[in-house]
Amino acid sequence: MSIYNSDETIIACSTGNLSNTAIAVIRISGNDYLNSINQFFDLDINKIKPRQAYFCKIVDEALILDEIVLTFFKGPNSYNGDDIIELSVHGNQINIRRIIKLFIDKAGFRHSEPGEFTFRSMKNNKLSLTQVEGLDLLLNASSIFSLDQGYSLLSGKLQEGFRGLYDSLLKHKSSLEFGFDFLEDMGEERFNLEFNDSFRELQSNIKKLHSHVSNQGFNLIKPEVTIFGLPNAGKSSLFNLLLDEDRAITSNIAGTTRDFIREDISINNNIFTLIDTAGIRLSDDLIEAKGIEKALEVVDKSFFKILLVNPYEFDETYYSKVKEVQFDSLIFTHSDREGFNELAKAVCTKLIGILGKEIGPIEPIKPGPIEPTKSGPIEPIKSGPIEPTKSGPIEPTKSGPIEPTKSGPIEPIKSCPIEPTKSGPIEPIKSGPIEPISLSLIVDTVNIKEEIFKLIELKYLKLLTFDPVLIERHAESIRSVYNLFLDYEKAVNSTDDLAIIASELNIVGHCVSELIGIISPDDVLHNIFDKFCIGK
Amino acid sequence: MYDIIVVGGGHAGVEAAYIASQFKNLKIAIITMPGVGLASAPCNPSIGGVGKGQVVREIDSLGGLVGKLADKAGLQFRTLNESKGYAVQSTRIQIDKIKYSQLAEEEISKISNITVIRSKVTGLSFKNDIYEIITDSSTWNSKKIVFTVGTFLNAKMHTGSKQTFGGREGCESSDSLSEFFGDIKTVSARFKTGTPARLNKDSVHYEKLEEQPSDSQVETFHVLHGTNERFIEQKSCYLGYTNSSTLKIIRDNKEKSPMFNGQINGVGARYCPSIEDKAYRYPDKDVHHVFVEPESHDMNTVYPSGISTSLPKVIQKQFINSIVGLEDATIEMYGYAVEYDVIDTTQLSRTLELQTKPGVYFAGQVNGTSGYEEAAGQGYIAGVNAALSIMGKKTLVLDRKESYIGVMIEDLVSNVRDEPYRLFTARSENRLYIREDNSVLRMYPYRAHLGLDNQIDNYMDEFIVKYSKYKFILENTFIHTSDSFLIKHKIKVPRRTSIADIIKQSDLDPVETVNDYFNHCGLVEDKRVLRTLAIALKYDGYINKSNDHYKKIAKLDNVDIDLPRMLISENISFECKQRIGKIKPETFGQLKLIEGIRPATLAAIAGNSY
Repeated sequence: MSIYNSDETIIACSTGNLSNTAIAVIRISGNDYLNSINQFFDLDINKIKPRQAYFCKIVDEALILDEIVLTFFKGPNSYNGDDIIELSVHGNQINIRRIIKLFIDKAGFRHSEPGEFTFRSMKNNKLSLTQVEGLDLLLNASSIFSLDQGYSLLSGKLQEGFRGLYDSLLKHKSSLEFGFDFLEDMGEERFNLEFNDSFRELQSNIKKLHSHVSNQGFNLIKPEVTIFGLPNAGKSSLFNLLLDEDRAITSNIAGTTRDFIREDISINNNIFTLIDTAGIRLSDDLIEAKGIEKALEVVDKSFFKILLVNPYEFDETYYSKVKEVQFDSLIFTHSDREGFNELAKAVCTKLIGILGKEIGPIEPIKPGPIEPTKSGPIEPIKSGPIEPTKSGPIEPTKSGPIEPTKSGPIEPIKSCPIEPTKSGPIEPIKSGPIEPISLSLIVDTVNIKEEIFKLIELKYLKLLTFDPVLIERHAESIRSVYNLFLDYEKAVNSTDDLAIIASELNIVGHCVSELIGIISPDDVLHNIFDKFCIGK
Repeated sequence: MYDIIVVGGGHAGVEAAYIASQFKNLKIAIITMPGVGLASAPCNPSIGGVGKGQVVREIDSLGGLVGKLADKAGLQFRTLNESKGYAVQSTRIQIDKIKYSQLAEEEISKISNITVIRSKVTGLSFKNDIYEIITDSSTWNSKKIVFTVGTFLNAKMHTGSKQTFGGREGCESSDSLSEFFGDIKTVSARFKTGTPARLNKDSVHYEKLEEQPSDSQVETFHVLHGTNERFIEQKSCYLGYTNSSTLKIIRDNKEKSPMFNGQINGVGARYCPSIEDKAYRYPDKDVHHVFVEPESHDMNTVYPSGISTSLPKVIQKQFINSIVGLEDATIEMYGYAVEYDVIDTTQLSRTLELQTKPGVYFAGQVNGTSGYEEAAGQGYIAGVNAALSIMGKKTLVLDRKESYIGVMIEDLVSNVRDEPYRLFTARSENRLYIREDNSVLRMYPYRAHLGLDNQIDNYMDEFIVKYSKYKFILENTFIHTSDSFLIKHKIKVPRRTSIADIIKQSDLDPVETVNDYFNHCGLVEDKRVLRTLAIALKYDGYINKSNDHYKKIAKLDNVDIDLPRMLISENISFECKQRIGKIKPETFGQLKLIEGIRPATLAAIAGNSY
């Protein structure tokens, strides 16, 4: 953090350094440096007017380096409050590097640290902490929704909501303090009235805000979709099928050990992380048993959970273990094998018994012929082709009538009708976890991917209807405020001791201060500016 | 040649002289206006109250005078916020103001190293580290000066359109401070305060008012007095109410009120509104409390608290007589408002010494506070530090986490006041700990710092010893689940439990329970100490919890800020910079205390590690 506190003039390319582009923008930020760079331009830089574009040449003594467009923003009327010069140069990476090197070597500028431009804007009071967090979200957005929320933070809208909470807290606190110090003047009756009114207002504000915070603790910025089940259930096949051509947009992040494979998938411009928990098998081996625990932990924290069941290899121990998992989708695989329908039905009944969940009647459908998938990496699986069944009433899907599977052996089951998400008023979610939209699905295999995606998206959209707070620090603070408020409520109901009540309220108050950004710099700032590359 | 001269013989001045005189080798003088008794109470006849009661006990435990006087002159004792928990309970004593002032005179006259000079100060000069004070009768030299001149700076009184110069009824005002100190800044706005009319006590129909008798259970302020000792005959207070015709009279005469027709520009305290303020500010509310309080056995007046006013006399009489119970009340003295200058306390250090003129201290209402207790608390701090300074000892600064006096002084020196300052419990961040009952514990180390050996010092030493002893007993006496004590109180505990834990865990009143237990065991012990301990046990858990949470914030509070850098920043508003520049905060915590700094600015500064 110390480096950020320097007053040095900093320089960096703001348009990325991965590939050559037509134009690149180099940004210089600092104070009183104009004179020191006059020698590098073929115009008198001391005479330029702010906010006007100048076409000029960059020169290194006799050598002309580039023809550029220069724009000067005089602080504090600039992005970060510093004096900023923006050089639009030709976007060849070698050219960019040469120009930056010139300023570093001969003008004594420093290459900026990640996020340092934006850090200065906060330092110069141009942006609040919450706005910086919003900017981070905006720049690193993985969904349209994050983009919107990032913008809303940047423009201070969400922060206004937080301030509203702060105001109602202050109001309530005042009513309490008033009761202490002026009870004799105001009388018990008026005190009770004001205390109760402001209490309800604060309560409703906290509840409202809390309704925007998911309780499941999963990553909302890039929600995770996990596939789990016993070995040979077909997890990897499904994983590869779902990835399909989306693979190009992703980069492979290696799992920590042998356990998980993760890939990013895009569903209608929203990015999700798909996780295959393959490699985790049931065994006497202690390490393997730990593996299951670990997998279930990952599954538990994920946003969308798909359980694959191979009815031909049923393991009661395993299913008792997954009993607690609130999975969203259940898919029976290996539908091409003999006696699948009967077996699937039987297994389903057993599963209902073990899981204690309603799955609904299985309506066997006719398994189609197995064919290699058109484009994806799915291959006939060793243990036999996968085929799902369907267990509940089929909802007509947009993609058309169900047809026998054409291209792949996977066939999912669907057990309960998907409720179309309501677009009406935001309903606060209850404090419990979000209920899975459906337990399983079945569609023809051409569309299986589409159907799963649809379910994922549906759940995601449903989630978004309550406008969740995406930034974990905020969500965390709101959760704390909520929980501390519950303590406070308890205190209010159990004691007449105003000092104790006030003390509990102060604790809530500290937490609200954190939310609006009156917080320790090392805790939050360090985190943001270290981890992310903001506003470059 | 004096060591310390105290200018002003009010509550601050008397307290300053009293503590300084405990250092027997110092020579002290009080210069006070002729014709006024020491520590007189020109306004409400009471000592203590919410927050203020704590201050009185703090002063008492520090070896001050106010608690002793209040007990001895106490006409009616009362605990405020009695049902709201021990931490916010406060003692208030209605005093016999004649008696109070007499007692102050007596106490001071008994002290051999204090001289009282009754004279008006007309000039001041400074030569070779010695201050020379010129009065209309003589000239006096002193090493240190404590100014406790109350409301007398450029004071002007208002009753209706009638204006007189003077700090209170029947007194002259002091001359402008600017004649003494060309460069001492006063707050740009003048302050005002008011007082109600005094009623003839025999003209009030007490039977129509609600009686509030003196509570014999309330503990005395002074620790060396008997716990429930009473020194003079007790009297009751009476509660009445204004009504719609009262308020109509006041509203109809708005243009005659000096406060609203522009005659008075001074700023009054929002928390101590005159009846005019109440009438105009809350147009829908007609019912306000009026407490009819005794002033003295030796006076023929009562004080109607809650209806201070500066309206013309005719109107005062009219609206007072509209109140049930006061229909036939006759007025002995009419209400008035006083306007006065106060100094800019940000020029003072936390010892209340003027930073630009070492050796000069300011305390009391001249610093913009209201209330006898606040004045006394500052008087103590100014007096003790003037004395310590002469003796070359370390200063005495009370921590705001440990005392209301500390809260008050830090608030004063870190802010330019824009209205009279009064202590509230809300001003303390550590209210659960800063209680009346534990003032001895809290003040013990501060008093010990003075190195004195008076009766009170012995008492405090004993208190601490007893406290630890009782604490050990309560924490280490485990009683069996079937113990008759538990059965009597219908307490169920799962296993053998210490008394301390029983108090923490149950809803029982801690004080009663601890007393009961000691009785149960046949032990007769010091009730003041037991009470302190019992309440401490009750609050322990809450205090810890609050401290834990506070630590997070406190971590930021201790972060140093780079002041010069902040002041040249183009991004902090001019107004904020002005405030910040004046106060010169060193840490984020101090910055936060400055009034008028918005949360947004704080958040930005917090994030900037300036």
